[in-house]
Amino acid sequence: MTHYLVIFAAGFAGSFHCIGMCGGFACALGRDARGAGATMRRHLLYNTGRLTTYCFLGGLAGALGQVICTAQGVGTAPLLNGSVDVGQRLLAIVAGLLMIAMALQFFGLLQTFHRLSVGFGGSTLAMSLRSLLTARSPAAPLAFGVFNGFLPCPLVYAFIAQAAATAGALPGLLVMAAFGLGTFPAMLMMGGVGRAVAPVWRQRGVWLAGCGILLLGLITFGRGIFPSHAHIGHAWMPGFPA
Amino acid sequence: MSADDEVLCSHCSLPVGLRAMERALNGESHAFCCYGCCIAFQVKSGRNEEWDAAWLLIRLGVGAFLSMNIMMFSLLLYSDAFTGVDADMLPWIHLLLWCLATPAVVILGAPYLREMWLNGIEGHVTSSTLIVVGVGAAYGYSTFAVFGHGPHVYFDTATMVLMLFTVGRYLEAVGRARAARDLEPLLAAEGGSATVVDGEAEVRRPVREVEAGMLVRTRPGERIPVDGLVVEGESSTDEAVITGESRPVVKSAGSMVIAGSICLDGPLLIRSMGAGTATHWAQICRSVREALSRRGPTQRLADRVVGVAVPLVLALGALAAAYWAQTLPFDRALLIGLAVLVVACPCAAGLAAPMATSLGVGRLARHGCLVREPGVLEALARAGLFAFDKTGTLTTGTARLVGVDRHGAGSEEVLAWAAGVLSHSEHDLARAITAAAAARGIKPVAALKVRAVPGRGVRGSVNGEPVAAGSRTLMTDLGWSLPPALAERVRSQEGCGHSVVYVGWRQHVRGALSLDDSPLPEAQATISALRGRGLNVVLLTGDLAPAARRISGLVGIDDVEAALSPEAKSAALDRHRQAHGVVAMVGDGLNDGPVLAEADIGIAVGSATDLARETAAIVLPRGGLWMLPWVVDVACAVRRTIRTNLMWAFGYNLVALSLAAIGLLQPILAAAIMAGSSILVVMNSLRLERLPDPVPPSQGQPSPAVMESSGVDVGVAMMSSAAIERG
Repeated sequence: MTHYLVIFAAGFAGSFHCIGMCGGFACALGRDARGAGATMRRHLLYNTGRLTTYCFLGGLAGALGQVICTAQGVGTAPLLNGSVDVGQRLLAIVAGLLMIAMALQFFGLLQTFHRLSVGFGGSTLAMSLRSLLTARSPAAPLAFGVFNGFLPCPLVYAFIAQAAATAGALPGLLVMAAFGLGTFPAMLMMGGVGRAVAPVWRQRGVWLAGCGILLLGLITFGRGIFPSHAHIGHAWMPGFPA
Repeated sequence: MSADDEVLCSHCSLPVGLRAMERALNGESHAFCCYGCCIAFQVKSGRNEEWDAAWLLIRLGVGAFLSMNIMMFSLLLYSDAFTGVDADMLPWIHLLLWCLATPAVVILGAPYLREMWLNGIEGHVTSSTLIVVGVGAAYGYSTFAVFGHGPHVYFDTATMVLMLFTVGRYLEAVGRARAARDLEPLLAAEGGSATVVDGEAEVRRPVREVEAGMLVRTRPGERIPVDGLVVEGESSTDEAVITGESRPVVKSAGSMVIAGSICLDGPLLIRSMGAGTATHWAQICRSVREALSRRGPTQRLADRVVGVAVPLVLALGALAAAYWAQTLPFDRALLIGLAVLVVACPCAAGLAAPMATSLGVGRLARHGCLVREPGVLEALARAGLFAFDKTGTLTTGTARLVGVDRHGAGSEEVLAWAAGVLSHSEHDLARAITAAAAARGIKPVAALKVRAVPGRGVRGSVNGEPVAAGSRTLMTDLGWSLPPALAERVRSQEGCGHSVVYVGWRQHVRGALSLDDSPLPEAQATISALRGRGLNVVLLTGDLAPAARRISGLVGIDDVEAALSPEAKSAALDRHRQAHGVVAMVGDGLNDGPVLAEADIGIAVGSATDLARETAAIVLPRGGLWMLPWVVDVACAVRRTIRTNLMWAFGYNLVALSLAAIGLLQPILAAAIMAGSSILVVMNSLRLERLPDPVPPSQGQPSPAVMESSGVDVGVAMMSSAAIERG
């Protein structure tokens, strides 16, 4: 459970990063003329849509991790005892490295990597989705949230890597759910209250998020490198089938 | 051919086929070739903050929300979260899934159902039928299971198959639009709008409403919408799409501008010289539109195969399900049948040829080469022989001074007298001679009382002395004698196919000027490039043998057939067709129209702007003979791409189909694979974008043939006097 709490916290810290891009959307979604209740509903719908996409991606990444591990296991199990572990360790190393790379971005390092991760035509898609923000249908914010979740974002990538490292669809889903819920408060505040957070605080939040992801990345990476004694990761999620 | 055939998809510019998806968006009606293009177009136009486009996105978003939730709940089911104590929850979870799935299936499946219905009432069975039947079976079985308290539901399969197909079609459409990017300027002629200046006011109007005499303003970066005269402003323009000229052309007040060219760096005020729909650009646009809307032979074959494949796959799916139902539980067997239906959806095959063709056509169009028939690129790739016309195709088509024979006068003197009297004439030969004199820095003598003798030449006087230039008949009429030595040399010149102009003064013929057509600078390189590709080249001309042999020697063609009537040319083509298979004929498209039409592929050079008279299937821009080898390369690449596309599409289908039929493929995976195959075909076709651009003949190191006619523009070569002079 602690594992998910840490991810929730990292998501919360990371949401200060979200304010940069997604916060703009939340502001644009704005207030509903029909009152505070309607405004709240709008933003809850939007964030639910986002959360759904995150969870879905997490489940998918986890399942993919599982497939990789199983394939590895099936291939080598007869030869090497306990080789199921090899796939998972490899996955943990790759995911850990990815997370570390993403974290470094938050400190302003590795800018090429940043361009690579954001330059998937995300801005074009974001532009195109603008019509959803002004559409009158009550379902529009939900749809917008769903698409928003697919927009390229280093923060999301980092946690998807983490989800893949869990090598299970359900834990992967839960990782992303924890992360998504972590981003809720800031996003709701941005939209519902519409008040900009002071830039100083934003910067601090981004640094905090970077630290959190770096820590998670190092732990994940370590889990791949030192399997025998560093079982912190496993200790965090007892009772979940991997 | 029905009117429907002429409609192109608003998104990807491919033909919409038998059944267009029509939508009215923001007050304009659009037709789409497929559901994917419909989505992609609306995503693109979503920028306009319009309600119409948003509605589709909302539906897709809600559909995605529902199906992702279904997927996640199913994940919980699969991981056995509801066993033991929680087993009581199972029916409720199933009911919840049904509640989520029903709207999702309705939202995501409606376009497929509509497509199936519309095609169905016309008697066509298309791939959407496979999706509808498959998804319908999964949904129907699961609904039955929910209310009959069955153990398993497959709502995730039903909705994810729909989601994957929708996303796949969207991605495919995005790729297809990239293919149409090069074609856009050629298709935009009549759909665009122009800024019309009316007194003080400037109004945007559709190009088709612009009439002659209207003032149109074009800003830098815009495409000039009309043919016209620049009234005000100065700018360089890019005319590549229309004339093939790759360098910018500077236009200022008084210059003519061509519709379709891009105004590069300054605003222009243009007085339209004709209706917006009567420009060459609009003609080209209509021609390209027509070419794209027809289907090539490969495409027709693929369509026929697809038409047969769908009922076959339906039967196969039913058979697979029936077979497995004997050994497996019914729901598992049903899933296998479903996987078969989904994986065999022949979407990619229908895309193979049009996608590659439209990329090839667009690629050529960017350099001013027009393709007017869809299947012609495939035919060109198979061509074994290129027949060339001579005049105007391999040669400049304008006379050029090649020799001066003189008697009792210096060659410069002969040229000076000839130029003096001929400078008043508009005749081709006269212009070539005055230009030659000017090129050599010879000052023409001042001739007075010059008058033309129709059909014979020109006469006048210099300082009271009579002077004449023209045919031998003119000299005989004047009673001027021709020295026998000169007559002898002239006879040999005429034997070579040269035209001869006599010049005389003071009662004597003093010189004879020989003129001839000269090969184009790029002709030799073009011919050798074609031969380097293993193609046969032949010269078919109506001119006399000596002239034909001289030109063919210069450009490097061994096989010459001269003095052919148009009928004889057609006969020659027939003969070559038997020996070499597909035959392409290259001409200037003006006087050899019937022969171009007779060949398997007619290629016209230099008359893209005279489309109305064309019978050619491919039109190269003026001076674009050098592009021919590149055009052949593009055609070969297009054909190769179509073949690999078809191999992919059918091969992929067969392998996946076998896997699905023996039960190794989950339906969701099958849908992902299927969506992947269409995207692969698109990606494979997009490789055509990476073909190299044509390389213009180098200016630095001209070959001998190039040297000889480096003064093409003025119709005369700047040869050394020694090369011309004989006396």
